Amino acid sequence: MAAPLLSVRELTTVIRTEGIEFEVVRGVSFDMYPNEILGLVGESGCGKTMTALSVMGLIPSPAARIAGGDVLFGDRDLVSLPEREMREVRGDDISMIFQDPLTSLDPMFSIGHLLTEVIRRHRSVSRSEAEAMALQALAEVELPDPETRMSQYPHQLSGGMRQRVMIAMALMLDPDILIADEPTTALDVTVQAQILDRLLGQQRRRGMSMLLITHDLGVVAAVADRVAVMYSGEIVEQAPVTQLFSDPQHPYTQGLLRAVPQTRHQRGALHTIPGRVPPPQFVPPGCPFSPRCSQALVRCWEEHPELVPENGRHLRCFNPQPLTPA
Amino acid sequence: MRYLAGRTVYMLVILAISSVAVFYAIRLSGGDATAARLPASATEADRETLREVLGLNDPIYQQYFTYMGRLLSGDLGNSLTNNALISKMVIEHGRNSIILGAAAFLLVFVVGMPLGMLASVRRNTFTDQGIMSLSVAGMAVPNFWLALLSIWLFASVLGWLPSAGCCEPRQLILPAIVLAAEGTALTVRMTRSAMLENLDSDWVRTLRAGGLSETRVIGKHVFRNALIPIISLAGLRIGQIVGYALIVEVIFGWPGLGQVLVNAVLRRDYPVAQFFSLVLVVMVVLGNWLADLGYLAANPRLRKT
Repeated sequence: MAAPLLSVRELTTVIRTEGIEFEVVRGVSFDMYPNEILGLVGESGCGKTMTALSVMGLIPSPAARIAGGDVLFGDRDLVSLPEREMREVRGDDISMIFQDPLTSLDPMFSIGHLLTEVIRRHRSVSRSEAEAMALQALAEVELPDPETRMSQYPHQLSGGMRQRVMIAMALMLDPDILIADEPTTALDVTVQAQILDRLLGQQRRRGMSMLLITHDLGVVAAVADRVAVMYSGEIVEQAPVTQLFSDPQHPYTQGLLRAVPQTRHQRGALHTIPGRVPPPQFVPPGCPFSPRCSQALVRCWEEHPELVPENGRHLRCFNPQPLTPA
Repeated sequence: MRYLAGRTVYMLVILAISSVAVFYAIRLSGGDATAARLPASATEADRETLREVLGLNDPIYQQYFTYMGRLLSGDLGNSLTNNALISKMVIEHGRNSIILGAAAFLLVFVVGMPLGMLASVRRNTFTDQGIMSLSVAGMAVPNFWLALLSIWLFASVLGWLPSAGCCEPRQLILPAIVLAAEGTALTVRMTRSAMLENLDSDWVRTLRAGGLSETRVIGKHVFRNALIPIISLAGLRIGQIVGYALIVEVIFGWPGLGQVLVNAVLRRDYPVAQFFSLVLVVMVVLGNWLADLGYLAANPRLRKT
């Protein structure tokens, strides 16, 4: 495989509450390659968004800080990069799409103004050149009637249209890497497929590397090349998408897959994983999943498992068992 | 446009109602209007004649319409005490009031907004706490006391500024600051909380993700959003300044509308008191109307699509 475009190494992010620091991202490592989609899945509160924000250098300061690890991008480490240089990277080399398009655009400025401001921040082009670039970006995500939209304000656009604007904004400067944090979660189901389609089309066309954060396993199965499963701030299993779905090894991954409703086979109640993700201040000392795990050994309660590579898969489990039909 | 028309109609209705209220209130205040015009030795017959001439025996609603009719045709009448033309008094004293009021209004925003922004950016630091303590003081200290205190300190003790008078720039400084104190304090708080509220918005993260600098994000985008509540309360500041001007003008001997009004009331000079009260009402109502306009101009969500 080619050299990774972005390499996250042992990234650890802490949040400080009332003077005590908690790790919300714990030693997360993954690589991103050109023309590839890496899916990052897990329950709410497992640290997916914090991981993405840490890569972008956008974690809320001073409440949170990166306590360790590297984010290697080319020959630079984004973690130690001065803020001034990091700003050059953001929106240009690496860009991000957020979950809620309704609140993610400044309501006081027109779409055209917001887009051209970012363009002119990174490119020394005239106002009219920037407008042409913005217009083209809006056309590429198939926003209807882009000329009119340029002069409209966010409140005049529907949620789906606003998310297209967000995608256009993220893609207009041709980034190497796109981080999409639950890009379709807040949208109507009918619009979700359209938006995902636009996003994928653009990713393939540009040969971009994409980190797709979602809790929708169906989306991951359909579009991702590789999948990393996060639990309690850690990656517990990472594998190529077919391998992960056909042969999940970590009990948490298995639980997630079983929880997906199967309309053809199953009747009765949906499968759930008992318990919930431990809050960062109460992570158990051994494997963080052990209290919810049906196959936990004594060792799982006492020792913290490492992420071990094996046959192109990374697994963090002492006692993996093959998936048994529920 | 409908919003604007609605607010304008609303303003006119308020004006009409308050003109009636002012007219009745003056008449309710008691006292004999002829006492100011006639010597004490005048007979009851003389007074009755004067009342008839002044129309004081007509039904009160008729007096109101006669008065409003004259007002609208530009005849403001004369002062009872020195027979001066009220129209001339308004122009002369109104100019002074506008100078003082405008100076205070400017101070409120030129000082209040930057301090509020600074406090929000330096949230929970010594700077923030210092600014907020000052603003609490600014709201808590009654302005007549602040006026006396500032005269004592800057005029008597330090001798830097004159204690009273009109109308040199040096004489404007103290009354303008005192008049602006409470509005400035409120503006500081409002700016700070509006900035903080917007700093936590999702779209701030979007702008940062686009690589914009903090100066841009905060100075342009967050501030632009914070302006909406500030502008919508700017009109109320006008009303506040107009109200406080009564006291401040009297203390600092600043010959403005407020001072004339206070004197007119004390001397039972009804035509003057009535008209100047109306002027103050008009200014307050107009201030609110301007605030509505500003709110409309500042908020694209209210503009017609």
